[in-house]
Amino acid sequence: MAIQTQQRATLLQGTLDMLILRTLLYGPAHGHQIGKHIQRTTNDFLQMQHGSLYPALHRLERRGWVTSKWETAPDRNREFKYYRLTEKGKKQLTVEESQWKQMAEAVARVLWPAATEEG
Amino acid sequence: MHWWQIRKRRADLERELDSDLALEEEEQRERGVSADEARYAARRAFGNTTLVREQTQDAWGTAPFERLVHDIRFALRQLGRSRGFTLTSILILALGIGAVTAVFSLINTALLRMLPVHDPEHLVEFKSTNPDFPVNDAFSMHAFKAFQGQTQTLAGVLAFRNLHNIDIEVDSEGGLAEGQLVSGSYFSVLGVNAILGRTILPSDETEPGQNPVAVIGYDYWRTRFALDPAVLGKRILINNAPFTVIGVTAPEFYGLQPGKRIAVSIPLTMVASVNPGFAAAGGPADALKAAFRNWLYVFGRLQSGVSIVKATSRLEPVYAQTTRDAAASLAGSPIDSPAVRATFIRSRLQLQPGSQGLAILREQFSRPLLIVLAVVALLLLITCANVASLLLSRANAREREFSVRLALGAGKRRLFTQLFTESILLAIAGGILGVALAWWGSRSLLALMAHGRTPVSLSVQVDLTVLGFALAVSLLTAVVFGTIPAWRAAAVDPQHGLAQNSRTVAGVHSRLGKSLVVLQIAISLVLLVGAGLFTRTLANLRDFYPGFNPESVLLFSIDPTLIGNRDVVPLYEQILNRVRQIPGVRSASLSVHEPLSTNVSTTTVRVQGAALRQGEDLSSVAIELIGPDYFTTLQIPLLRGREFFWQDREGAPKVAIVNETTARHYFGDADPIGRSLSIPGYRGDSSWLRIVGVARDIKVHDVREPATLMLYVPMFQAPEGGSTFEVRTSVDPATIENAALDAVKSIDPRLPLFNVRTLAGQRDNSLVQQRLVASFSEFFGAIALLLTCIGLYGLMAYTVSRRTGEIGIRMALGAQRGRIARMILRETLLLVAVGLVLGLPAAGFAARLISGQLFGLKPADPVTFAAACAAMAAVAILASYLPARRAASVDPMHALRNE
Repeated sequence: MAIQTQQRATLLQGTLDMLILRTLLYGPAHGHQIGKHIQRTTNDFLQMQHGSLYPALHRLERRGWVTSKWETAPDRNREFKYYRLTEKGKKQLTVEESQWKQMAEAVARVLWPAATEEG
Repeated sequence: MHWWQIRKRRADLERELDSDLALEEEEQRERGVSADEARYAARRAFGNTTLVREQTQDAWGTAPFERLVHDIRFALRQLGRSRGFTLTSILILALGIGAVTAVFSLINTALLRMLPVHDPEHLVEFKSTNPDFPVNDAFSMHAFKAFQGQTQTLAGVLAFRNLHNIDIEVDSEGGLAEGQLVSGSYFSVLGVNAILGRTILPSDETEPGQNPVAVIGYDYWRTRFALDPAVLGKRILINNAPFTVIGVTAPEFYGLQPGKRIAVSIPLTMVASVNPGFAAAGGPADALKAAFRNWLYVFGRLQSGVSIVKATSRLEPVYAQTTRDAAASLAGSPIDSPAVRATFIRSRLQLQPGSQGLAILREQFSRPLLIVLAVVALLLLITCANVASLLLSRANAREREFSVRLALGAGKRRLFTQLFTESILLAIAGGILGVALAWWGSRSLLALMAHGRTPVSLSVQVDLTVLGFALAVSLLTAVVFGTIPAWRAAAVDPQHGLAQNSRTVAGVHSRLGKSLVVLQIAISLVLLVGAGLFTRTLANLRDFYPGFNPESVLLFSIDPTLIGNRDVVPLYEQILNRVRQIPGVRSASLSVHEPLSTNVSTTTVRVQGAALRQGEDLSSVAIELIGPDYFTTLQIPLLRGREFFWQDREGAPKVAIVNETTARHYFGDADPIGRSLSIPGYRGDSSWLRIVGVARDIKVHDVREPATLMLYVPMFQAPEGGSTFEVRTSVDPATIENAALDAVKSIDPRLPLFNVRTLAGQRDNSLVQQRLVASFSEFFGAIALLLTCIGLYGLMAYTVSRRTGEIGIRMALGAQRGRIARMILRETLLLVAVGLVLGLPAAGFAARLISGQLFGLKPADPVTFAAACAAMAAVAILASYLPARRAASVDPMHALRNE
C-alpha cells in the first residue's frame, strides 16, 4: 500500500504544477476550483486530495509563476483566495508542456515503436 | 523572513483553507447530503489538514526555523510544567559550572598566566644549584655582565632586585610601596613599553649614583598621581633620595613577580641611594662590584633556535668562570673559608622557562590551589551524575507520554529533537547562571586569598577555555542523559509501550540511576573526608602553641631610616619608654622581624674554640635583633642565663642568646653559657659574642616548620633600620592601638609607621592558606552532601512511585506499614553502604595524597573517617525519610485499582 501511494506521488510531483498552470490559463481561480477542474477534466482519473494542491500553489507563488489575491466570488458573495497566472508562469507552462510532450513521445516510442515510426 | 510576516502568512493560509473547506462542504450539502455527512465528506476530500498546513509551510522555505521556534516553545512549556525539576537542574548545573570556572580562573591567573611581555616563550629564568643550597636564584653583578656578553646564545639579558617597603615621598608626603632596581636592559629585553614618557634604557646605567630616574607603574600613577600626565619630570624622594619620573609603564605590566605590584623601577646603579647599607658602596663587598655578592635576579631572552638545554651548556663555562672569580674575590674578607669557597665553585647554572615570572608565588599557592581544583573537579562529577539521574527519572516518568506521542504519529526524530531541545535549554540556562557565578566567585575567591597581610595583586579574568570546558561537559551530560530515554522509547513499539507500561525499560533506567547515586555517595565521601581532615588540621594549627603566647600582643612597625634618621637607638628607647607608660601595657620590646614573619636573615656562625664536624660551619642560622625584655614580652621561656638588658648597648661587652636547638647543635650537652661565637657573614664584623642565655625554641617562619637554629643579638648593640615593636597588654590589644600610635607620633610625626596589628591576627594570617583550603573543602563537602541528598531523594521517591502497585499488594497480603517503611529505608542504606565501600578506599588514597598538608593528625584519621561516614548515613536516612513515609501511607485498595 505504501508503495502504491509513493508511485502516485512521484507521478504527480512533476505534473501537478503543470496541471495547475494549465488550469489557470483559462482565468483566475481559487484552490477549490482548481482542484475540481483538474478532477473533472481527467474524468476523476487523478484521485487526488484537494489538500495536496496548497503546497504546490504556494510553491508556484514563491517562484513567481502565479500571484494571489483575495477576491469576492460572484456566486457565493464571499472572499476566496484567487490565483492568477503571471507572464513568467505562462512561459514556464510552455516550457513544461513541450518537455512533457517530448517525454510522452519518448515513452510512446519505447512502448509502441512500430506505430510511431509509421505515423 | 521576520516572525510577523510568518504569522501573517500562517493566518492567510488558515483563512484560505477554511474558505475552501467551507465551499466544499456547501457543495456537498447542495448535492443533498446531510449536514454532518457533508462535513465529513469535505474533510475526506480535503485530506489531512495538519499535514497540508505543514507541507505548505515547507513550501515557504522557512520551516526549519519555525520548527526550531516551535520546539523551543514546546520545551519551555514542558520545563515550565515541572518547575521543581527545572530549577533544581539549572541550579545544580550552575553550581558545577560556576565553581569549576571560578577556581580554575584563579589558578590560571596565579600559576599559568603568561607575563604580559613580548614573546614570553623565549624568556628563561636563571637559577643556580649546588649541594649545599639546592635552589639559588640570585647572581652577582659580575655574573650578569658575563652573561650579557653571550650574544650568540642570548638575544638579551636583564637583571633586577625587588625593593621591599620603600618610602616614596611625593610633594612632602610619604607612603610605602614596592619597588625594584632594574638593569638598563630590563624593559627592552621584556619588550615592555612606556605609555607615557620612556622606560629605563641602557643609557641610564652610567656611573653608580648618577642616574636618578624612575619609571612608575600604571597603578601607582593612577592611585598616587590620578593619571596626571604632568607626572613626567616630577621630582620624588625614594627613601629620602631624589629621583625624576621619566615614564609610566603599561597597565597590564606589574613586573616579573606575579602578585606583586611594582610601583617604581629605578636603575641598578642607584642601589646605594635607596639602600646604602645593602649596597656597601666602595667597600670590599660593594654590591655593584664584588663578585661574591649574589643579589640579582636574572632573566634572559634566548636567540631564536637556541633551546634551553643548548643555552645551558653554552653558558655553563661562562658561569663557572664567574664562580671561580667569586671564590677568588673572597680573599681577605671575613667570611672566607675553604667551605664557603667550595660552595661557590660547586654551583651549577640552571635555566628554567621564564614565561611565568618568578616562581615564588606560584610555588606558594600551587599546592593548596591544586587541591581545591581536584575538589572542584569531583564536584563537577557529582553535578553531572546528579543532573543525569534527575533527567533519567524525569524521562522515566514521561515514558507513557512518549508512547502516546509516538502512537499519535509523532516522528521519532521529532521526539528526539524535542528532548534534545529541552536538554540544551536546561544546560544553557545552567550555563548562563554558572557564568554569573563564576564571575562573582572568582572575585570573592581572590578577596578571600588576599585576606592575608600582603595584598595579592592579580587581575583575575574568567577563563574562557575552562568555562567552555565546563559548559561542554554539562551540555554533554544533559544531552546524553536527556535523550537516552528518547532512543529507548523510539526503539519500543508504541503499542507495546502503552500496553506494558514499559516495566522492562524502567528496570534498566533505575539500575543506571542507582549506579549514579552510588557514584555520588562515593565521591561525596572523598570530599567529606578531605573537608574533615583540613578542618581538623586548621584547628590543630590554631591550637598549636608556637613557643610564645600570641594572645594580647599589639604589633606595629616603624622605619626611621626611610626619612634619613640613622641614629635609631635613642629614638627606640624613647618610644619604648613612652609606650610602657600607656595604661594596660605590661611590657614592650622590639625586633627586626615580626614574630611569625616569613622574612628572616640567616648567616653562618663560627664558634670559638670548637672543633666542628664537616660542614657544620656552613649550617645556616637565623639571626634576630631584639630589644630588652623581648622574652618577657612574648613570654618565651628562658632555659638558662638571662635575657638582654638595657645595658647591653654599644660599648658594653657583646652578648648573644641562642635557642635550645642551636645550643644542642654546636655544644651538645655542654653548657653554652659563657662560650663565644661570631657571625662574620652577617655584616662583616667578626668580633666574638658571649652567650648569656638559652631560650626555648619557637616556630619562626611558620607554626608548621621544625625548629630552626636561632641566634638572638641585642638590637641596641648592632642597630639596624626598621623595627617591629611588640607590646604585651593586660587588656584587649586593639584598645590601646591609638594610644600607642599617638605615643610614637608625639616623638616624631614624620616617622613612617605601618602595619599596626595584633600578634593573634598575625598568627591567623599565617594560616590564611590553610583556612582557605579548609573553608573551601568544607563548603564543597557540604554542597556535595546536599547534591547527594537530592540525588538519593529523587531516586527513592521515584522508586516508591513506580512500586506503588507492588507495595499495595504487599499491604493487601498483610505487610505492616512500619515494615514497608523499613524496606525502603533498607534499600537506601544498602545503596549508601555500597557507596561507602567504594568511597572509603578512594578517600584513603586521596588522604594520602594530601598528607603533606595535614598537621597533627594521620591521613587515615579515624575520627574524620567515622564522622564522614556517619554524616553520609544520616543524610541518606534524611533523604529516604519522605519516600519511606509515602510508601508506608500507600492505600492498598487505591494502589491495586490503579494497577
